[in-house]
Amino acid sequence: MMATKAAQTKGGTGRFTQDEKRRDSDHVSFLKHRGFRWLWIALALSAASIAGYVLIDQEPRPNGGTWYGYTLGTIGFGLILWLSLLGVRKRRINPGAWSLKAWTSAHVYLGLSLAVVGTLHTGFQMGWNVHTLAYVLMLLVIVTGIYGVVVYATLPASLSSNRKEMTRAQMLDALTAIDRQLESAAQPLGRAEADLVIAALAQDVFYGGPLARLTGRYPGCATSRALKRMGGNSEETARVGSLLERRRDQLAQIRGALRIRAMLEIWLFIHIPLTIALIAALTAHVISVFYYW
Amino acid sequence: MAFLIRTIDFTAAGREIIRDRIAEQTSLTVGRAAENDIHLPDLAVEQHHVRIERAGDGMLHASALGTLGFALDGRMVMQGTIDPRTGGEIALGAARLAIAAEADGSIAITIRQIAAEEGKTDALRGFALASVLPSKRAMSWVLAGTILLLLLMVPVASHLLRTPTKPDPTGKTPGAVLLDSAWSSGELSVKHHSLKDNCESCHVAAFKSVQDETCISCHEDTGNHAPMPRLAGGAPALSPGDALQWRIAEGFGKEGPLGCVSCHSEHEGPVRQPAGGEAFCSDCHDKLDTRLTDTSLANAHDFGKGHPQFRPVYFASFGAAKPVRAKPGTKPVERSGLVFPHDVHMDARGGAARMALSLRQYGKPLECGDCHALTPDKLAFKEVKMEESCEGCHSLVSGRTAGGGFSKLRHGDVKDLAEDLARISSGPRRRVGPVRQRPVQIGSASPAYAADFGRPVRAYIGLSNALSVGGVCTECHLPTRGPTGQADLMPVNLPDRFLSSGYFNHEAHKKEECTDCHAADTSKVASDLLIPDLKSCRDCHLGATAVKTKKVVPSDCAMCHAYHLPAGQWATKGPKPHYRPVPDKAAIASLAGPAGLKP
Repeated sequence: MMATKAAQTKGGTGRFTQDEKRRDSDHVSFLKHRGFRWLWIALALSAASIAGYVLIDQEPRPNGGTWYGYTLGTIGFGLILWLSLLGVRKRRINPGAWSLKAWTSAHVYLGLSLAVVGTLHTGFQMGWNVHTLAYVLMLLVIVTGIYGVVVYATLPASLSSNRKEMTRAQMLDALTAIDRQLESAAQPLGRAEADLVIAALAQDVFYGGPLARLTGRYPGCATSRALKRMGGNSEETARVGSLLERRRDQLAQIRGALRIRAMLEIWLFIHIPLTIALIAALTAHVISVFYYW
Repeated sequence: MAFLIRTIDFTAAGREIIRDRIAEQTSLTVGRAAENDIHLPDLAVEQHHVRIERAGDGMLHASALGTLGFALDGRMVMQGTIDPRTGGEIALGAARLAIAAEADGSIAITIRQIAAEEGKTDALRGFALASVLPSKRAMSWVLAGTILLLLLMVPVASHLLRTPTKPDPTGKTPGAVLLDSAWSSGELSVKHHSLKDNCESCHVAAFKSVQDETCISCHEDTGNHAPMPRLAGGAPALSPGDALQWRIAEGFGKEGPLGCVSCHSEHEGPVRQPAGGEAFCSDCHDKLDTRLTDTSLANAHDFGKGHPQFRPVYFASFGAAKPVRAKPGTKPVERSGLVFPHDVHMDARGGAARMALSLRQYGKPLECGDCHALTPDKLAFKEVKMEESCEGCHSLVSGRTAGGGFSKLRHGDVKDLAEDLARISSGPRRRVGPVRQRPVQIGSASPAYAADFGRPVRAYIGLSNALSVGGVCTECHLPTRGPTGQADLMPVNLPDRFLSSGYFNHEAHKKEECTDCHAADTSKVASDLLIPDLKSCRDCHLGATAVKTKKVVPSDCAMCHAYHLPAGQWATKGPKPHYRPVPDKAAIASLAGPAGLKP
């Protein structure tokens, strides 16, 4: 015990020390990784870029074609290619002297500093051309990335509270259970009411497009429609009505989960394709600049 | 109070078998053991799993008997309450116990075996947003493919496959390369705007920077400031950083720092080429003599502090073929061939003034503008014409004409003068005053009979008198002898511009009096060169870094000099033409030849 403690204080390389270190780091967010190491590196890169932009006399005016412009452009190009490799890195589950957390931390902070480097590379000259297209794509990728970091930090808690200790499978099971009861409870109903129940049961649990998922609005929900139109005051219709209400509530929970999940995932559907589009636009940008040099 | 227990089974053929039994009791047990009220032969079910009993208010209470829970309406619980009126479902293993109230008040429990659900994990995929959106990979391919096709492949392919044409500065030839306007990094300058759809007129070859020869193919008239070797020799050595940059740039085929595009950068918006600043000029001209030891140009860097004295061009000897430039530090004596004391003409109390007062076209003492008229471009002065400016006083009238007007001697050529004088002596004589004549008097109606063949010697005497000292011509001209000894006049020689390497706009100085700069009112002889000196300009004009006041005008080099043609001014503001005065081709040709000739 004494020995291990001594080793710990000395920052030794004992097995225990290493394990403790790993256990500690397992619970540190990628944003705070190693005392915000990559945040500081990104800030330094941004500050250096801005200082260079302000201090270096660029003739006749700052733009991507001065030597400083080419320098910033090269840094930005390298950054973009490296940042886009996160997708490759995270699929490589193999040992090596690289930490996915460090890589993610660097991805976030260097990605933010790319906005500074890229903007200075433009020299604030915009137009309807492939160069500004690449710049706008880059900004969109960065903005969606910022959104991604924010939702990853905030939404999982609400996803958990929405579940109410049910798994996704249980949510679907609960709905199936209600559906079976609904089917038998609806047996005495007349044609019109029976059709409403059929429509409600026939509608897919995951009915609705991406917009419905994101907003949580399902104007075509057959269960809501059945509830609204279910007439009659008989005991049978009352029973079906209360079952429909239970069905609606269960759907609401599932749709709540869908909504949070959609908000968690939607940015990737912009971030990733726009990154690939950005690399294409960047290729066209670099080649065109030197093609018409 | 009874439970109606209904078991639904299926035969091997799929037929439904429904068995009903009634249990008259208030609680039921469910489990795998045979003694249970509801016996479920399913290993996933405990021996005694759940008890269902009546609670108050017609509700049912279900509770787990062991440590294993059960699913109530899809949720795993240890106990729960079911309202039979709305119903509920208990799941135990593969069995589903649907509980509902019957019309007679009894409670029906319907037991049904559920086939193991397959593809449940597939159903869970529906929770992912990916189930309602196109795949990221597909979107990536479509977007990247579209961008690469439209913005890279189409322009490159059409550039490679095009038939090269001559650049068209009017921009009327439609661009042969498709979609390359998307490559333009910014609008072209004002002058090149017509080329905006014709990128390949400047960007001739792929991956090759814009070459000087391409510029010169249209701008063949542009003067070159100085021949290339002189420019290269006169420029100071580049800083190590700049030298490295240019070495890299030239390695990639860029023209050097003296190439057209190093100053004339394009795609910077619809602007005009700005004039070079004072620093741009003084980079080379400040210590030019240290690099170009044989140069005749003096160093210059700031008009207020370091600018050489003006060296006007003038005719230093009578009848010289070419004007010469004044030597520094000398007082030029101009040999124009004229006799013209400015002071006599400008003296408001002198004889010239008196005479002008008596003449209708003047009516007051003479002013500079009576003889010196601005050119239409308001920059310089027209040539003074004797007939317009002098003849009002210095009359050449020689007699009356038949129409009642005056005849006069022609000015400008001694031969014309000789003819006119001869006509005075030999032609039909008109009486100066009207004389009453009788009819049929000889000579009045028939000029042929009125010929007076006077002695020709009178004409020679008249000419000789006019041309010699004291004659009418020598009022303004210097007498001389021609090649054969005949009386003649010194030809008049005045340069078109005295300051030939700089630009002066008289219109811009119209608030000043002429005599503020030109000491004409005290000049007694025509040999005085009345071009102002540097000092008189510096009363107002100091270098670009001077502080602007009511009197002091900070003046950079470009106010009086332009780069390609130093004799003019390149103005980026105001109406066209932006280069003034408009250069003629001879001036350009005499300067340094076409631009861009390599050292």
